[in-house]
Amino acid sequence: MSETILLDRRWIARGAERSSTLHFLLWLAPWVFLLLLGIYAAGLCFYYGLNQTNMDNRFAFGMWIFLDLSVIAMGAGAFFTGFLVYILKQNDLKPMLNSAVVIGLTCYSGAVAVLMVDVGQPLRAWFTFWYPNTHSMLTEVTFCISCYLLVLILEYIPVLLRNRQLRKIPSFLIFEHQFHKLVPVLAGVGTFLSFFHQGSLGGLYGVLRGRPFAYRQGFAIWPSTFFLFILSALAVGPSFLMLVVATAEKITGRQLVQQGVFRKLGFISGVLLALYIAAKAVDTYIWLNFTSPALGFGPVDFYSYWPLSSTFLFIATVPLGLFPAILFVVPRTARHRGLLLLAAVLTCGGVLLNRFVMTVQTLALPTLPFDEFLKYTPSWQEVATFGGVIAYGVIVYSLSYRYLPLFEAPKGEDKHVSLG
Amino acid sequence: MIARYGMVIDLDRCTGCGACMIACAAENNVPPEPPRATPRTGITPMLVRALSNGRDGADRREAFIPITCMQCENETPCVAVCPQQAVEVDKSTGIVMQIPQRCLGCRYCMTACPYHARYFNWWDPQWPPGMEKSLNPGVSVRMRGVVEKCNLCHTRFHGAEEKAAVAGRKEIDPADYIPACVEACPTGAILFGNLADPNDPVTLAAHSPDSFRLLERIGTEPKIHYKTTQDWIRALADKNANHPTEAQHV
Amino acid sequence: MKVSRRDLLIGTAGVTAGVFFTPVPWKLLGDVSIWTQNWPWIPQPPHGPVETKQTACTLCAASCGLRVRMAEGWPVGISGVSTNPVTKGALCPLGFAAHQLNWHPRRLREVRHHGYTASWTEAQSAFEKACAEGPVAIVDGRPGRAASSVLKAFAARHKTSYRVALSSESRALTPYAIWGGVPVASLGYDLESTRTIVSFGAPLLDGWGTPGRFTRLWSERAAGSSDPQLRLIQIEPTLSRTAARAWRWYAPREGSEGTLASAVALVLLQEHLVSTQVPIPQVTLTDAAAQTGLSVESIRELAHMMVERRPVLAIAPDINPSVAALNVLLGAVGKPGGVVLRNRASASPVPFEADGGAYRAVLIDSTVPWEFVPQTNAEVFRFATWDGGGSKADWLLPSPGFLEELTDVPTAPTSAADTYNVAANLVAQSAGTISPAQFLTKIDSTLPDTEKAIHSRCEEIFKTKLGAVYADQPTPVKEFESAQKMEDQLRKGAVWVGEAPRAGSFHCTLKQWPATTPTALASDWAETWAAPVFPPLAAKLYQESTLREAPARRQA
Repeated sequence: MSETILLDRRWIARGAERSSTLHFLLWLAPWVFLLLLGIYAAGLCFYYGLNQTNMDNRFAFGMWIFLDLSVIAMGAGAFFTGFLVYILKQNDLKPMLNSAVVIGLTCYSGAVAVLMVDVGQPLRAWFTFWYPNTHSMLTEVTFCISCYLLVLILEYIPVLLRNRQLRKIPSFLIFEHQFHKLVPVLAGVGTFLSFFHQGSLGGLYGVLRGRPFAYRQGFAIWPSTFFLFILSALAVGPSFLMLVVATAEKITGRQLVQQGVFRKLGFISGVLLALYIAAKAVDTYIWLNFTSPALGFGPVDFYSYWPLSSTFLFIATVPLGLFPAILFVVPRTARHRGLLLLAAVLTCGGVLLNRFVMTVQTLALPTLPFDEFLKYTPSWQEVATFGGVIAYGVIVYSLSYRYLPLFEAPKGEDKHVSLG
Repeated sequence: MIARYGMVIDLDRCTGCGACMIACAAENNVPPEPPRATPRTGITPMLVRALSNGRDGADRREAFIPITCMQCENETPCVAVCPQQAVEVDKSTGIVMQIPQRCLGCRYCMTACPYHARYFNWWDPQWPPGMEKSLNPGVSVRMRGVVEKCNLCHTRFHGAEEKAAVAGRKEIDPADYIPACVEACPTGAILFGNLADPNDPVTLAAHSPDSFRLLERIGTEPKIHYKTTQDWIRALADKNANHPTEAQHV
Repeated sequence: MKVSRRDLLIGTAGVTAGVFFTPVPWKLLGDVSIWTQNWPWIPQPPHGPVETKQTACTLCAASCGLRVRMAEGWPVGISGVSTNPVTKGALCPLGFAAHQLNWHPRRLREVRHHGYTASWTEAQSAFEKACAEGPVAIVDGRPGRAASSVLKAFAARHKTSYRVALSSESRALTPYAIWGGVPVASLGYDLESTRTIVSFGAPLLDGWGTPGRFTRLWSERAAGSSDPQLRLIQIEPTLSRTAARAWRWYAPREGSEGTLASAVALVLLQEHLVSTQVPIPQVTLTDAAAQTGLSVESIRELAHMMVERRPVLAIAPDINPSVAALNVLLGAVGKPGGVVLRNRASASPVPFEADGGAYRAVLIDSTVPWEFVPQTNAEVFRFATWDGGGSKADWLLPSPGFLEELTDVPTAPTSAADTYNVAANLVAQSAGTISPAQFLTKIDSTLPDTEKAIHSRCEEIFKTKLGAVYADQPTPVKEFESAQKMEDQLRKGAVWVGEAPRAGSFHCTLKQWPATTPTALASDWAETWAAPVFPPLAAKLYQESTLREAPARRQA
């Protein structure tokens, strides 16, 4: 076998096997193209205004809000893995930590970038910090996500500083070594912040009394969707993390973590998913029988529109809910890698569907008695921006994988026990 | 004086001519439509919708319903959700005031409003050359990226206050404060006044058994009432109305 | 001193942290927020004190009173005049944005000859040449104005024909003019005294006549009541806006309104429900039922309903002899609550269509609707303020815009009493525009002056001592000290309303019941709006809402 040509060898950890530079660039190229297209689309929106999208006064929120809610849910693996490792001492999950941080960072930074394009006046983004409205869920989301993004950046810095070249700088090495003491604190803060903003994203819709499809009663000021979103985010975070790492294993052709890690993540995901489905079932019952009839709306107002009829509710609950939960939890199925990954895909699909239903379907359903069911198709600029965020995530993860010891044993141990 | 300005719109008198829509747009310096404008991107702080009983032939009935900001009083949805307090309820008039200069354009309030009475500036405003000379002084021109809605011609209220101040009066003369839509309606279908005054014609009309409000059961307590003797319109609105005996008229 | 990398890093960190304790970042933030509110490309409204002036609208024959707010010399807002007894403060929807029209992108600013820019001198020479070479016609869209007297004087002195383009509302009154031997310009409807109105498709609540007149009347006496003082029966194939609000709606097939009118007349005669003697309509009830799609019982029911509360008045949107004959039968001619004759003094100008003459040239006044196309091979000199598109005119001649020209407004075609408005110009005439009267005066300087003609008209009214002038308060004409004082009020936007017509002042005789002709459809509500373009904000009604379907012909 001829030696792989690595023009960037000095940036790659000693002893680590990587594909050739050319191969890597070829892998990156389409993603870079997608990213550039996304930047161009976003640029058009900045320049010409939001008329470049297909959003309108009835679909004031569209694909981008769906994107935001979805990637933030997927990025929940970041805080949850940290919580599991540092607070609950599940040390066999440690190899996943760095990946979780990278995923979290790209998810949150991508979401914030899209939010900047989504608002009509991005230069006024700081107004929320200056004139906060304590009654608004969106204020809570803004504060928490901003703080948490900072936390993620701080968590990523030590990973970044373990790059082969950067380690050579003594001050960086010392900084990284000292910093690692802060990581459990950051994990705790991150958990706290995430708990709130994952919930508030659900709260965004749950407080909308003007949208009986989304409105829920709950506990104190928090509607039930606050808690349901937290549960579903906790359920999907590990699944998504598992999928990303599995994909990385497939693409790189190496085993990056032990199989048992996947199974453990899957089990956690499955239990939380089952809890979530149970909570959602109770919530749906209360909502359809008490909450929405009190507002004068019943199931017929929500479910008589094909194709968004009650089938979506069924799909979200059973094939994308109970079924993967069972696959995760039952030992006979959890043993099989293929079924684990299938369950992870289905879990992600279920949460995506749930986010879609809360963002897009809420707006499609009529509230006034003489209104009709509305349709919305995103414009190419919206799709391109969405694609750009995904590309951004892939690029950052690929670069992190190539140049940083993502799957290395945790800090403090001098051995480079990397499996990848 | 604490006033609660509101309206009672008589649907038996509304002919759907649209004069209120144009007068409102002219008063509020709403720009002409961009080439790609659609019924879902238009800025129509007053918007007249068509209603029908769904039947055909001789049994068909039609009516028109002007929709504007309902000036909700109870836990006003848009006020509760705006992250930077760009909407607030003016205590002296009860008007839900939008502050376009503080609006970030997040459009959360548009999602929250069940009456779809809020509109976003999807484009920068543009007039044909010279037409800016016809803009209404005293009403700011909004740029793209901010939300706007009806504010019961608050500029006219200011004008009435100024007039009262010049004349040395503390309270405005009601004849000096008439919103553009009220003034424009050729059949006088829109009754406007102070719901806090028990003798105001609008208060009496709001208490009439023919009056109703949209989506009453959601509990936003809108200050825009409707009035009709036509049962089919009431039936359309009734499914979301409070039970008639429990009706929370103003 | 050697500056190490460490020093640099610490220094940078220190400066970064320290700057937050200075006003610099906060001021920048504040400035950013000010910038985002004041981008230079966002137009600003005028400043300056706002003064209010009153005048009359000239955009259609209705002559609604306008209250115009002016700032920095330009109109910035329009509303109605509540003390105007005809309009009672109402305007048509388009009137509220009419002040934008003068900047409409399709405003004509230069003479065009076959699509190319030309000069006024060239246009004048061409017209003079045409007058010398053969018969010429001048078409007036709003006869009875002071400017009309200039057009008429030119026609008389230069052997040109003075013709008019009648509106659909005037055309609807033509049968009475013919049968009664009276000028069509003197006829109107006494809506205020009637108790039942049967409209055969006329959009009474949506653009017919003077916008505020019937809408206010109907709102007062009919709206919302199951037993109204004024019963509106709408006869129309589709559920129009008027039909939806009417007390009763009958839906005959399109074009069969005339047949229905004749059938109803037959029922009234057969059942002796009316006492007028007229020739029997040549129609059978079964035929009428087949043609209209209504049952015989419905037709009978309609007939009974019509005469339950009298006076009753039938109105058609355009010329319809059967409906006119029905009115004669109902006794609605020359009586209170019916078709009335305001005066005998109006001239009877000849409609252009009645002519059929071959002309060398036709000069079309700017008050003539854009859709008017003379069926002739003549050279067409078309005066207009806006380009409505698709013009067949050889010459397009830019006329003064909205509120740019001092003019007067004669009585609207459907009015019950004579009225007179002076529409003062509130802004200067745009450069490069010339009105038809000014154009003809350049050719013949001996023609009467428009302003003098307005002055004489005011003097005439003053001399009659009849009627009242309605400013903020009504003042009877006989109480004015001088004609000039009365004229001053009129120039400030007051309106003169003459006396109510006397009953029995004219009669119609029918030799035979008119043959039923296919009736023209009611026009789109906005077609009485003379300008071929809409104010841009009209898009709110069409493109930016589903309230109305865009009219095929009008380019907003």
